[in-house]
Amino acid sequence: MSVFLAKRGLALLLTLLVASLVVFLVMEVLPGDPALIILGTGAQDDTIAALRQQMGLDRPMMERYLAWLGGLLTGEFGESYTYGKPVLTLIGERVMVSLPLAVMAIVLSTAIALPLGVAAAARHGRPADVAIMGFVQLGVAVPNFWFAMLLILFFAVNLGWVPAGGFAGWEEGALAALLSLLLPAIALALPQAAILARVTRSSVLEVMQEDYVRTARAKGLTRGQALWRHGVRNALIPVVTIMGLQFSFLLAGTIIIENVFYLPGLGRLIFQAIAQRDLVVVKDLVILLAAAVILVNFLVDLSYALLDPRLRLGGDGH
Amino acid sequence: MALLEIRDLTVEIATPEGPVAILESLDLTLESGRSLGLVGESGCGKSMTALAVMGLLPKAARAHGTIRLGGQDLLALPEEALCRLRGRRMAMIFQEPMTALNPVKPIGQQVAESLRQHLGLARADAEARAAKLLDRVGLPQARFPLGLFPHQLSGGQRQRVLIAAAMACGPDLLIADEPTTALDVTIQAQVLDLIAELVESEGLALLLITHDLGVVAEMADDVAVMYSGRIVEAGPATALFRQMAHPYARGLFAAMPQAPGSGEEGGTRLATIPGRVPNPAERPAGCAFAPRCPHRLPGCAFEPPIEHLADAHWVRCLAPRRGAPAP
Amino acid sequence: MAIKVGLAAALAESGKSRAFVIGGAISGFFLSIALLALVWTPHSVFQMAIREKLQGPSWSHLLGTDHFGRDLLSMLMVGASNSIGVAVVAVAVGLAFGVPLGALAAAKRGWIDEVVMRFNDFAFAFPALLSAVMITAVFGPGGVNSIIAIGIFNIPVFARVTRGGALSLWQREYVLAARVAGKGTTRITIEHILPNIASLLIVQGTIQFALGILAEAGLSYLGLGTQPPLPSWGKMLAEAQTMLFLAPQLAILPGLAIVLSVLGLNLLGDGLRDLLDPRLRRAR
Repeated sequence: MSVFLAKRGLALLLTLLVASLVVFLVMEVLPGDPALIILGTGAQDDTIAALRQQMGLDRPMMERYLAWLGGLLTGEFGESYTYGKPVLTLIGERVMVSLPLAVMAIVLSTAIALPLGVAAAARHGRPADVAIMGFVQLGVAVPNFWFAMLLILFFAVNLGWVPAGGFAGWEEGALAALLSLLLPAIALALPQAAILARVTRSSVLEVMQEDYVRTARAKGLTRGQALWRHGVRNALIPVVTIMGLQFSFLLAGTIIIENVFYLPGLGRLIFQAIAQRDLVVVKDLVILLAAAVILVNFLVDLSYALLDPRLRLGGDGH
Repeated sequence: MALLEIRDLTVEIATPEGPVAILESLDLTLESGRSLGLVGESGCGKSMTALAVMGLLPKAARAHGTIRLGGQDLLALPEEALCRLRGRRMAMIFQEPMTALNPVKPIGQQVAESLRQHLGLARADAEARAAKLLDRVGLPQARFPLGLFPHQLSGGQRQRVLIAAAMACGPDLLIADEPTTALDVTIQAQVLDLIAELVESEGLALLLITHDLGVVAEMADDVAVMYSGRIVEAGPATALFRQMAHPYARGLFAAMPQAPGSGEEGGTRLATIPGRVPNPAERPAGCAFAPRCPHRLPGCAFEPPIEHLADAHWVRCLAPRRGAPAP
Repeated sequence: MAIKVGLAAALAESGKSRAFVIGGAISGFFLSIALLALVWTPHSVFQMAIREKLQGPSWSHLLGTDHFGRDLLSMLMVGASNSIGVAVVAVAVGLAFGVPLGALAAAKRGWIDEVVMRFNDFAFAFPALLSAVMITAVFGPGGVNSIIAIGIFNIPVFARVTRGGALSLWQREYVLAARVAGKGTTRITIEHILPNIASLLIVQGTIQFALGILAEAGLSYLGLGTQPPLPSWGKMLAEAQTMLFLAPQLAILPGLAIVLSVLGLNLLGDGLRDLLDPRLRRAR
């Protein structure tokens, strides 16, 4: 087990390091002089040079990379040009929107997908199964931003139940804030739920064929009991994998969805920062999000060890 | 009254071309405390018979006839009632011990499961009983603690765990479907010995399904030979082996690698039965074995009669053979 | 050869798979529209006629006009060639780089395999859309760059599929026989491995095609894909969002186009998988 952890931990650190390198290098290729952009084309050459020196743009690449990396590790994220605030503060504000959104989306998608997938597997071949698979096919084909627009059209415009966009802010009270995140969360959750439902269904179907489920029935367990007590844990393994992968799709989805709903979250921040060439923000945010994804995948890997004792203990028959 | 009485059992499977009979009018009797060996090649329907008794036939299959266990007609019972009987009055072990145990659950739990299900034992009691059961099947606690996982055991050891789980609630009937086919030859003998010992000490009825006549000769009190969904010969083991009447049974016997009377030293060719088992959908009318039978007669195109030979030994054949089986 | 027999037989029995038939029909429909749009559309998509804006369906404008008076049908048609074009080339990029990588990893094993696996893990760890956004933002928006961005993310997918399929094939008897006969790994790869994983690649290709259409739509929606005045489904949706209350049909039509084309491709992929897989297993 400790070997397993050590190997995985090392891979994690390595991946994070390479990710930071890639992000840094890509940003290096970015055309345009940040100092020039900030000061405007009318500025004088020596003012530009002074600002460049102040921003540390004249130092060699390796030095800048290491300084940046060091800053990340110590919490010194630098300051944003366009917002004039420390990046850490910016992230702090935006995270209060993006994190609840992501959590709501994950909860919704899991709550819809798992029962649907199990139900479809239990009624394999029957109308309910066909209907659920139809829903799944549609769900994966629908672009989440279009679905978002349809939701706005129906619930906000026609019915007026929820706001059509913008974030109510936590000061207005938790309910108002969550309500303005509801439609975005649904829009994010739907395509994920479709994929998850399909994986759950095929995983449960496969497990139902397994010999040990037949053994359980031979011992007198009902179909439902055999499935629940023996099937679920084994069926969960591929499902958890997909949930981990989906996290990265979720992050990508927030970029678009926050734009559709004008939510002041991390996704929108990245997009705006890229458009405004706010290098500091972009670098920090991208590596932060990438690190989050890498970390989640690492945790998923760890969870296999929890779920599957064969990984924990190793070894074969005597 | 016999423990297990199967009368006129027909099992059909729905296919796109219509229902196909996997088992045709099967009759079988098993007394308490006796072992019956059900022999035949793959595809003859012996596993289906076992599944029919347990009520675990695939969804597309329909069973007709009667299957009485201790007087109760199993085919007439609803599923909940069958669940109460499975593991409690009748138990089954299968052919593949490597995949028959849940890989993520410890063996103690899997043995204790039916104890908790049927006898309502609390966890601690059930585990104590499970430990004793594992001990009984040759897996003492010292080397095989309850918390062990299946992947830490060999095939033979896993089969022992499955036997322990099957015996947990003291069933009256044990069905063993090719329990040793997937195991190494040396382990086979051990597991069969274990089963024989348990049958004797617990007074079980054993329905042993196998394709191996050698196993039957060692373990069974009675034998039934199946071919293409029907029993073609049945009787006490001693009588049957002394005089195999059905040409198919004789063919099986002759095909055994260690068949006696092969004559010359230094290996003869293995005797084979030419042709192959018919697809259930294409079963010929009359005697299903006729196309492959060396003693075929024109009358075999019709339903072969049942002829009773000595004590409880009968055969379904127009012209049953006499004398000891020749090579 | 096994794969030719497989394909021929598959096509002959293609009627058996409903998914294949329906998916094939829908995909074929969109493909023909896309090809047609390359040479002809009912109206020019660059011609704005403000006086004719936001009209409903009529004989001259079968699906109506948008807020600039452009013919919606023509816009959708050109959008189809755009989406399909980007997605196809992106799949080609993925295949061109991913298949050799995966085949190499499976053939050589050892450290080459490790490197390719790490690269794959790493590429999958980066949120795809995020990196596509970065690339198009850094190198400039536009059709070509979105092809590159989407294509880059097809590479690890095809590498993984190729490697997985190839690995299992290297164990087969006929490959072992070829090695014993002295054939080099490159020849074995070309003659034996690749033809037999072709079905896997075809199925995965249709899936990536569908994903490519979705990705292109997302990028165009954000303004990073195909640039105006060239129409794209994503951009149409972005513009439609501002008039959601006035003219909902502007949002519904491009969205439907995306959903239907992706649905058609997914069904086609499912159908191909049903048809090709069991056939190939038998042919072996």
